Amino acid sequence: MLYRVSITAAALAASLCMTFAGALAFDESKYPDWKGAWSRVAFPGIVGQPSYDPTKLPGPAQQAPLTAEYQAIYEANVKDQNLGGQGIDPTYTCLSPGMPRVMTTFAPFEILVTPQMTNFLIQHIHDSRRIFTDGRDWPEKIEPTFVGYSIGRWIDTDGDGRYDVLEIETRGLKGPRTYDPAGIPLAFDNQSIFKERVYSDKADPNILYDEITTIDNALTRPWSATKKYARVPVKQPEWVEEVCAEGNGDVEIDKQGYFLSGDGYLMPTKKGQAPPDLRYFKQSRE
Amino acid sequence: MIALAAALFLPSVAAQAFDDAKYPAFTGRWAREVVPGEAGQPPFDPAKPPGRGQLAPLTPEYQAKFEAAVAERDAMGLGDVVATTCLAPGMPMMMQAYEPMQITVLPETTYILIDHIHESHRRIFTDGRAWPKTVAPTFTGYSIGKWIDEDGDGRYDVLESETRFFKGPRVFDSSGIPLHEDNESVVKERFYLDKADRNLLHDEITVTDHALTRPWTVTKSYRRNLDPLADWPEYICKEQIPFIHVGTEIYRVNQDGHLMPTMANQPPPDLRYFVRPKQ
Repeated sequence: MLYRVSITAAALAASLCMTFAGALAFDESKYPDWKGAWSRVAFPGIVGQPSYDPTKLPGPAQQAPLTAEYQAIYEANVKDQNLGGQGIDPTYTCLSPGMPRVMTTFAPFEILVTPQMTNFLIQHIHDSRRIFTDGRDWPEKIEPTFVGYSIGRWIDTDGDGRYDVLEIETRGLKGPRTYDPAGIPLAFDNQSIFKERVYSDKADPNILYDEITTIDNALTRPWSATKKYARVPVKQPEWVEEVCAEGNGDVEIDKQGYFLSGDGYLMPTKKGQAPPDLRYFKQSRE
Repeated sequence: MIALAAALFLPSVAAQAFDDAKYPAFTGRWAREVVPGEAGQPPFDPAKPPGRGQLAPLTPEYQAKFEAAVAERDAMGLGDVVATTCLAPGMPMMMQAYEPMQITVLPETTYILIDHIHESHRRIFTDGRAWPKTVAPTFTGYSIGKWIDEDGDGRYDVLESETRFFKGPRVFDSSGIPLHEDNESVVKERFYLDKADRNLLHDEITVTDHALTRPWTVTKSYRRNLDPLADWPEYICKEQIPFIHVGTEIYRVNQDGHLMPTMANQPPPDLRYFVRPKQ
């Protein structure tokens, strides 16, 4: 496991308690300037919903190195989506996309850098992350979450006295999760491990990269992709508030997806789809 | 024009030194301070009993709306009107801090992050900006703050905040005390650490709203969690809230996934768009 920093819990607590007293000076100049709003960069020729590897088209063109078992799951999912269903993409009911999909960043996001923690504030469904950079070790037990538990380490790769790379490792996931709306699956055992390197472009500090490597039991080998983000060139960005439940026309009943029509009725999402089982109702609508 | 764009694009580089010794130690993980004897869902005014016991200074029109909402909720057996929708609690309800609250103070902005029902990112801008001419309304609102050094010791001790530009529906607390549908609320706050206990944070909140006959002021308190490794729970509303809204009706989805009524004799959903209703 990476980042096994030999720091005692007591020392960590003591250093953090200093912050509480306000005695710890936060020298911002030691960290890269990632302030402002960052927006996903679309690559030329890549159309449709953004996917894990932004340099490739979504769906089969991603060439996900899936095991035969998960390739079959993916293909069944595509079949269901082609019929109007949601396949295995769980986000239509407002479940969090989780890692690594949150790093697709549908809306502009913000990065808060403080010595103990870096927050990725991503307003989409439920996408924000905390990266702990306080020198902690992996906890013995992690309550699984969709975004996982992330430990980071700042690195000064060029020795100029200023950190330029944030290395992150993420574990402790829960699911279901897919890489993208096309439904490329992560393994249902949720044993995924993500390793990331986040850094600014050397020539352009308004470009940010996130190199992500996913290690997952649905894959035949680790799968890497590099996301690219551009700083939004406004001094006071407008931060969107996305509330998934607001106006979401999709509902799940009996593990089936249904749609709410504009006039307030339940609708099938697929041709010939059976209505929900109403066994718990004493009276009929008629 | 080009020069301005370039200036805005420039990262603020090393010149900025954030002297956090100038700011009070708000940064950290905070939990709502439970008032002795408090039970159930936290009310807007922590010092008073929930529901009607809050003595909310509602106009007659909004008092009637509140009573109707309470009656409907009681008939449905629903404990919390807001959570049935998974909409954002918004301001001022989110400041009940039902789940742990992260505060991060940076010179330009103070961030209040609370993951309950909705993943709320509240930004209180302290960069000296004026109110924008137009703001897209949000449940959380748009907050401008000002740091104040009350005792002149060279260190700020109070963050004053004003919040406007809301959308709704919003309520003060889970008992359903309503804010006005015009969403013209103005929320003024004063955040400060307790003089005798620096691990206790207070937020004096005054809400001015057209559903009220006068501004309503309460003080909320939060206790600092001193455990640096404390867990940050992930609150996924869909996992917690088993309700769906179909038209004007609220139904429950039970553990086996089937749809259930939330009140006696509630009709099932109209299935007119299905070709063959299930028997």
